[in-house]
Amino acid sequence: MNNYILSKKLFRNELSTFYSFLIGFIVALFVGSLILLIQDKNPIDVFSLMLKLSVGSINSLSNSLNKAIPLILAGLGISIINSVRLWNIGAEGQIFMGALALNFFYINSSIQNSTLYIFLLLTASFIGGSICILIPALTKVLFGVNEIITTLLTNYIVFGLTIYLINGVWKDPASLNFPAAAYVNESVYLPIIVGKLSSGFLICIIFTLLAFYIKDKSVFGYEMRIAGGSELTAIYAGISAKQKAFLAMLIGGGFAGLAGGIELLSQTHRVSTGISQGFGYTAIIVAAITGMRPLGIFLVGCLFGALTIGGSVIQTIGVSSYIAEIIQATTLFGALVAQFFFSYEIKKKVENG
Amino acid sequence: MVDIQFIGLLNATLQAATLLFIAALGELITEKSGILNLGVEGMISIGAVSGFIAAINTGSLFFAIIIGVLSASVFASIHAFVTVVLKQDQTVSGLILTILGLSLSSLIGKKHVGKKLDVKLESVVNIAEPDSILDIFLSQNIIFYLGILLMVATAYVLKRTMFGRRLEAIGEDLKSSDSMGLKIAKTQFIATCVGGAFAGLSGVYLTLSYVPYWTDGMTAGRGWIALALVIFGGWKPYRTAFGALLFGFLEALGPRLQTYGFEMSPYIVKITPYIITILVLILLTIFKNGDTGAPRNIGIPFFRENR
Amino acid sequence: MTVPILEVKGISKTFGKVKALDSVDFYLQKGVVHGLLGENGAGKSSLMNVLSGIYIPEQGTIKIQNKKIERLNPELASSLGIGMVHQEFRLIENFTIKDNLTLSKANIFLENFKEAYLKYSEIFSLNSSYNTLVKDLSVGEKQKVEIMKLIFKNSAIMLLDEPTAVLTPQETSQLKISLETLSKEDEKTIVLITHKLKEIKDFTETIFVMKNGKMVAENLQTDKVSDKHLIELMMGEIKTMSFKKDNLKGETKLEVQNISLINNDEVNVLKDISFNIKSGEILGVAGVSGNGQVELSNVICGIQQEFNGKVLINSNDVSGKGVKSRKKLNLSYIPENRLGVGLAPGVSVLDNSAIREYFKASYGPHLSKGKMLNYLNDLIKQFSIKAPDVKAEISTLSGGNMQKLLMGRELISNPEVIVAAQPTRGLDVSAVESIHKLIINQRDEGSAVLLISEDLDELFKLSDRIIVLYEGRIIKEVDIESANIESLGLAMAGINE
Repeated sequence: MNNYILSKKLFRNELSTFYSFLIGFIVALFVGSLILLIQDKNPIDVFSLMLKLSVGSINSLSNSLNKAIPLILAGLGISIINSVRLWNIGAEGQIFMGALALNFFYINSSIQNSTLYIFLLLTASFIGGSICILIPALTKVLFGVNEIITTLLTNYIVFGLTIYLINGVWKDPASLNFPAAAYVNESVYLPIIVGKLSSGFLICIIFTLLAFYIKDKSVFGYEMRIAGGSELTAIYAGISAKQKAFLAMLIGGGFAGLAGGIELLSQTHRVSTGISQGFGYTAIIVAAITGMRPLGIFLVGCLFGALTIGGSVIQTIGVSSYIAEIIQATTLFGALVAQFFFSYEIKKKVENG
Repeated sequence: MVDIQFIGLLNATLQAATLLFIAALGELITEKSGILNLGVEGMISIGAVSGFIAAINTGSLFFAIIIGVLSASVFASIHAFVTVVLKQDQTVSGLILTILGLSLSSLIGKKHVGKKLDVKLESVVNIAEPDSILDIFLSQNIIFYLGILLMVATAYVLKRTMFGRRLEAIGEDLKSSDSMGLKIAKTQFIATCVGGAFAGLSGVYLTLSYVPYWTDGMTAGRGWIALALVIFGGWKPYRTAFGALLFGFLEALGPRLQTYGFEMSPYIVKITPYIITILVLILLTIFKNGDTGAPRNIGIPFFRENR
Repeated sequence: MTVPILEVKGISKTFGKVKALDSVDFYLQKGVVHGLLGENGAGKSSLMNVLSGIYIPEQGTIKIQNKKIERLNPELASSLGIGMVHQEFRLIENFTIKDNLTLSKANIFLENFKEAYLKYSEIFSLNSSYNTLVKDLSVGEKQKVEIMKLIFKNSAIMLLDEPTAVLTPQETSQLKISLETLSKEDEKTIVLITHKLKEIKDFTETIFVMKNGKMVAENLQTDKVSDKHLIELMMGEIKTMSFKKDNLKGETKLEVQNISLINNDEVNVLKDISFNIKSGEILGVAGVSGNGQVELSNVICGIQQEFNGKVLINSNDVSGKGVKSRKKLNLSYIPENRLGVGLAPGVSVLDNSAIREYFKASYGPHLSKGKMLNYLNDLIKQFSIKAPDVKAEISTLSGGNMQKLLMGRELISNPEVIVAAQPTRGLDVSAVESIHKLIINQRDEGSAVLLISEDLDELFKLSDRIIVLYEGRIIKEVDIESANIESLGLAMAGINE
């Protein structure tokens, strides 16, 4: 027994995250195929239909990319917060909060210039996301309260608040059975670029570059990395680790809030429970699977967006849309397993006497 | 003679509390061993759907309970494998377990949505019209009593048996436990699967008694409340039971508020457990110097450095 | 002489190029308190790790109870009755004394716990009920529980690594009595590992001395050996090969006036410390670690901002100001804790190289990777650092290269004042040599250097003056010409004649 020891690899292949993702994705497709086979469906038929209906035309492609927007933005927020080695499980709540803040600002203001108005509304949603994470951030840096739990719980508080508002003060009388707030005016809809692709996707590209810049190219990103690596080193270097952690959380929350704002102005056009369908959770998969790299989050976000669209359209042939979610989740599990073999090695114990 | 509305409220409280408590108790055991499993919601869902399908197909409630418990436990072993054996991040793995559990159970249960169950977990004592507090307790079903039994057993095992003390020791201090020769991986693996089994039982209670049918997303965030409960209860079985009663009461109270003449929104009542838990967590961290009762080495993968 | 209960012969163990153990012989007699004396890095811990099965030696034989053991591992060592108390306790804080004593797989007092506890708590004069939580105990009491754990695990051979480091003088003398009782009544074989002369004389019956991975003295009768002889053995002869000390001293660069500090546990860790260092001068700080060195450097370097007294750099009062004020006046700090303070674990070599002056690579909020890379390449060239992949985590560097990176980063800007804490600890000979040269070069460039070290050889070789810290106080101050190693060694042990 115990003739093998596990040791951490010193050097990891730079592309190990990418390979892990690929392996995970292949495993997930395999698992998905098995499930389809059990249900007497031909996996190749189903997957090619999914492919066709998610990227086969301008319209379907733009649907997919629209779906990718919240995944990418929330994922970027998570990755920024992870720079200081903290978790944000609260992206789902921040997305809702972004939409709530936007609607609140919309109800209480009136601005003629619609470009400016849209800009201000989206800013409000960003701030909403930041507010949503304010208490977890404050309690983390002041008292060291576990941020995983607090961000997680805020999801449900914000969701409850949303339901409360759309059933109460914000309830649109015109919407009879379906509780929702009133629609926003068409003038503040985000314009369409091509097909059905919302200009929110441009914002998404800009924010991907921004997150990449912050994390990889800026002084702030550098300070976050040092603070995340070791609080003592940060203090030694004259960097306030707590301040960096606080700012990272507010910015990350803001990214997710913005996702909610864009979703409202481009898809739902009003506050309802449909603002997010678990985007905040899927975003965690997206962020984790890419090793928190902004450009990776962008690409995987697009892929997962397409998967979601593909999943929702294959319902027409009697396949559950949940197959898409299962593939997403299994991809990450497969990637985690692969990651293990990239970061550890199993060695035989050296015999010597 | 007790007020009939009160009878209904109490009954609903006990049922809601049972559901939350059993899942929370399982998570408590898992966390005591140092493994954080955020997949409770997914595990409940798996237990619920598999128990339901087993009941539909066999008509045997006993068999349904066994299947529900087992399948959730096997499902939890994915988390155990990824975090204990492969030492990957527990937060990520647990979350994915929830996502996977919810989607997988929806997929499995798709054909059975809306079906009605012929059998249902019956009250232990059949009381036609319960009109006293005692009657309410007596009219609960077997899983309610099982929950009480599990509470006492868990408290006893953790505090009084060698296995339990060692399990807690591991969650408290991996290095010291390792130096004591304790089997860390094995214990954590078992604790995670036991946590899954409890969540499965909770899920079975959901579909065989609480709302005897299956529909997508019927766990409705109860797994997250169960997680919150563990924190609220300071990782202690009895305090967690008290928390379950409180949270169950709030859940039962929500839709009844108006009948009592309160103008408070039931939606706000629904989120109070989360707010209370956050407050408790913050207050405990501040006033007990960070000692919230959480196992000290929770969430840390164990890896012995070899040279 | 009876057959030893444990006997190792010709044990060698190397880490990379470093010979941690060089053909070491060691043997223990049943029921005797042994002392193992040596400086930090002499190989004591490596030897103990071999005995407890953690390190597998390349050469040598291990015999326990006169039986040859082919391959020792931690489980086997434990079952053969070898137990060790580490410097960092392995106690579960939130658990009771009883749990800590009994949960181990090897516990022998399951049935008769109460009697056993009664007996041993008396021997250790531990006045706590076994239901007391460990976190409520004092450090000294925890130490007692930690040693009792070995008894409950039925360890016949008890290896105690620096057990007195955390004890008060009263607790220390109490421990002495307890260990004597254990060795006499229970026939426990005890090894006291320490670098404190006074205790090894007080506690033990027989002494082994290690130096540079070799056993330089075996089985000396404690009552027959003199302090002076032990110090010579432990420290070795002072190598006359030392750097030229004809350095020119200039203006006073660093002034420390009446520093006192009370830490969070309300312990007075620094007591009225004053000194100054001139340009081109090296002031050595001798002392066993834990006597206020870390606190002193934190005060000087601005990490600890609340204290009594004054710190002046180039006549600028920086007391109460932070790290950045020191950086502006060009002070460099090489902290004792390399990985964790000086370098951030989990962060790349490149990022770590820029910690001192990253803001110089910035344009507003923009951080220039190019500038950082140039800077790092300068460091790599100038200080011959071997870094296979600058984007990989810092832990991919060897200890010596980590230290060179850290030193280089702090020295490349020709600092006015350098605080270097234990700069060569744990490094191999060639790395030590190159780091010594760096410090001397810096001195000749006109820096004022505060060199904190436990290694007297190093201090003699580099310093112009030496002060000895003992329990937060300067207990001795000498010029290098008039210093002798015995009196410094004694001062480090708290004895100042």
